[in-house]
Formats: sequence, structure tokens, C-alpha cells
Amino acid sequence: MFTWPGSLWRSLLAFTAFAAAIQSIGSNDASGDDDRAIDEALLRRIDEGDADALAELYDRRIRLVFSLACRIVEMQTEAEEVAQDVFMYVWSHAARFDARRGTVAAWLLVMTRSRSLDRLRARRTRPDTFQPNDNGVLAGIAGSVEDSEQRLLDAADVDRLRAALSTLTPGEREPIDLAYFGGLTQREIAERLNQPLGTVKTRVRTGLMRLRAALSGAPS
Amino acid sequence: MTHEDGRELAPLYVLDALSSADRDEFEQHVHVCAECQREVASLRGVATGLMQAVPERTPPAELRARVLRAATGRGSAALGLRTVPRAGASQWIATAAALVLAVGAIAVSISTASRARNAAAVAERARAQASAAEAEATDARTRLAQAVASVGILTAPDVVRVELSGQTPAPGAAARAYWSRSRGLVFTASHLPRLPPRRTYQLWVVTAQGAVSAGLVQANRAGEVSAVFNTPADLPPPVAMAVTLEPEGGVPAPTGAKYLVGNVTGKTSN
Repeated sequence: MFTWPGSLWRSLLAFTAFAAAIQSIGSNDASGDDDRAIDEALLRRIDEGDADALAELYDRRIRLVFSLACRIVEMQTEAEEVAQDVFMYVWSHAARFDARRGTVAAWLLVMTRSRSLDRLRARRTRPDTFQPNDNGVLAGIAGSVEDSEQRLLDAADVDRLRAALSTLTPGEREPIDLAYFGGLTQREIAERLNQPLGTVKTRVRTGLMRLRAALSGAPS
Repeated sequence: MTHEDGRELAPLYVLDALSSADRDEFEQHVHVCAECQREVASLRGVATGLMQAVPERTPPAELRARVLRAATGRGSAALGLRTVPRAGASQWIATAAALVLAVGAIAVSISTASRARNAAAVAERARAQASAAEAEATDARTRLAQAVASVGILTAPDVVRVELSGQTPAPGAAARAYWSRSRGLVFTASHLPRLPPRRTYQLWVVTAQGAVSAGLVQANRAGEVSAVFNTPADLPPPVAMAVTLEPEGGVPAPTGAKYLVGNVTGKTSN
């Protein structure tokens, strides 16, 4: 059996430690643009079949994906399956990513939400209105008619958004939740909450406007 | 759909809470309304934030190996060598163990490695081909839908043809538009210069009441465009068409340099 000389072995470990230190510095201080460039470089390597790049992307983004999946499907085992679906898709379809539409992280979130909602709908097994797209992954992406970029908020903005969310009235928050994390249409929400459609529309609008105001009022 | 209707639906649209019929109608409106385009873009930022603002959850450690194995079809020992865990002595030990396993695996499998590489390369090529074929099929479907719409416009009884010529920033560019009040606008262009960063080309129908956005124009790498746009049925009679360079996402009224301009000649219907 082939064995490594002790000195080589030690220097390998030392190099690994050095690489880890560099990486942790980078990930703490990286600005949004750096993060974006790193993700995009990883995706290019994934497209070339580099499994290590997929592992790196997993380490960088799994919390984002897993947290969102948990929020929607509410069952850990199913959230794990969603995460697996998402990264399997990334591995085999990295070329589908279009940087003009937004960041890799936003792409992962859109996919995670779409896959999670597909599972939620399948679980509901309701015969009526739902018509999951033949390719749920593309639903959120292909559906955007405008050419704006979809990118993540930075950590400070996420905190502001969380704070703003806690100030919404239950009447504003509930229809937003049911739509975005429950996959219901405005009419289904009205039915579920036993409210007129106009009320649902107004509350969703007021709620979102207040969240947006909390973000745009933030010092940049 | 009026602009007020559109504005009202934008929040529900970004939350995907519209039925498919409502969504289609809204998208048709957004296509021609720069203000609603901006509203959607701005609200979409909030929606993306909502996905980030969910309570944070830590995935179980063993999920990593399972996901990577399922995705790449490779054993966990061969994965993640260059990906170093962020912290924790136990993770160091795991990394060291993975390295030892990998070294062992290399030594043992040295004779089968080239065969495995060949098989992996064949699988990789097959995957790439399948993925390319899929992309081509999607592309073909889009082109077919466009072609059907184009034929409808070109054969419309009220079709008007407009030749656009390149202006100072793009003297070599040229374009042609066919517009039918009832069926829409077909636009083709060639030799459009490459876009500067964060800019877009926007197509305008100029009327006596001002310029109306027909939509954003996307050129391919060669600077060619072939696109179909919807125009509002109550559009005032067009007098000219123009393509300008605008900030990314488009603007409600032209602000940038004109790249292509063409006058509408002859009578147009109301």
C-alpha cells in the first residue's frame, strides 16, 4: 500500500489549514459583489463537471436553501429532499443559470421556493385549481417579464426586513404568508381567511409597501 | 387593463398570488408599461428578501454527503477535498479522515482509474449532449411561438411597414418594423452595437401625444434582434419608431441617445 512521507503529510495538513483560514476571512468580509463573483465562478466549474465546486457551493448556500425549504414544507425530512433536488438540478443544469436575471443565490432561492411549493401542493392533494408548471424550477424565473436583476439583500437589510415583518398586523402578514409560502392565489386566500377579495388585495399591498418602505428608508 | 389595475396587481404578482389568467393579463400590461416594470422590479426585491428573512435552520451534517453523492453520483470520500470545513476540531478530523480515505482509494484503484475516467468522460459528454438538446428544444419552441405571432402580424390587413436607419452612435445599424393595431409589432434589427454595462435598448412608438414604450430590445451577440411586441389597442396613430439606449430595466419616456429612427409613411388606421 502506498504511504506518504510524514513531512509531506504534515505540510499538506498545514496547507489545508491555511486554505481554511483564507476562506473564512473571505466569507466574513466578502461584499455582495465578491460573493456574487465567487458563486458564479463555482457555477462555471460545476458546469464543467467539477464536483468540488458543487461541494463548495453547498457549503456556502445550504443554510439559505434549507431554511427556506423548512419554512415552506415545515417537515425536516422533506426540506432535506428539497435541498437535494435543488443541488441535483444545479449539478445537471448549471448552464441554465442566466446571470442577467440575477445572482446565483437568488436563483437557488427561487428554485427552492418553487420545489417546496410543488411538494406542499402535492401533499394537499387537492384536485382543483393548482396547476404546477411542468417545470416548477423555471416557473419563478421564466415568469418574470421585466428584465430586472434579482439579487439578495445584504445582512443589514435582512435584519431590517425581519424587524419590519414583526410590525405588520396579523391581517397584513397572513395573506402575504399564505401567498408566498403557502402557494395560494388571491382568491384562495380570500376563501381561506373568509374575507372579501378586495380586502385581501389591499392588505397584501399595504403590507408589502410597508416592508419596502422599511428597506428603502435604510441608510445605504 | 388600465395602469391603475396593473399597479394594484403588482404586489400579488410578485408573490405569485395571481391565477394564470390574471397573471397573463398583467404581464401583457407590464410589457408596455415602464412604470409597472419598475414597480414589479422594486417589489420583487422585497419578495426575495422575504425568502431570506425566514428563521434560520441548520441542516443535519450528514445531508452534505447525501446531497453531493446523489447529485454527482460520486462517493463522499472523493468529494469536498478542496472544500474545507469552516471550524471545529471534529470537522478537522473528518477532513483528515477523508484525505486518508481518498489517498487509500487512489492507491487501491490506480489500475481502474483510467477506465473510470473514460466512463465518466462518456457520461459527461452524454449529459452535456442531453442538456444541449433540451436547451435547443426550448429555444425552438420559443422561436415557433414567435414565428406564429410574426406571421399573424405580417399578414394583418392593417399592417404598416417602417424602415429604421442607424443614427450617429450606430451608423451601421438598420431595422425594420411591421405594426398592426390589431395584432402587434414585429421588429427585426441588425448591427446593433454591444450594450454598455447596465444599459438596455428600448423600442418606442412615437405618436403625436408622445413616445410609447413598445418594450425592451434584446440583441444577440451578433447585434441582431428578432422580436414580437404587443402594443395597446388604443395607441394614437404612430408617426415614427425609434430605439434608444436606456438604463437597465427601461424607462417610461425616452432619455438616452437614439440608435435607430424611422418615420411611419402613409396612412395608419386609428
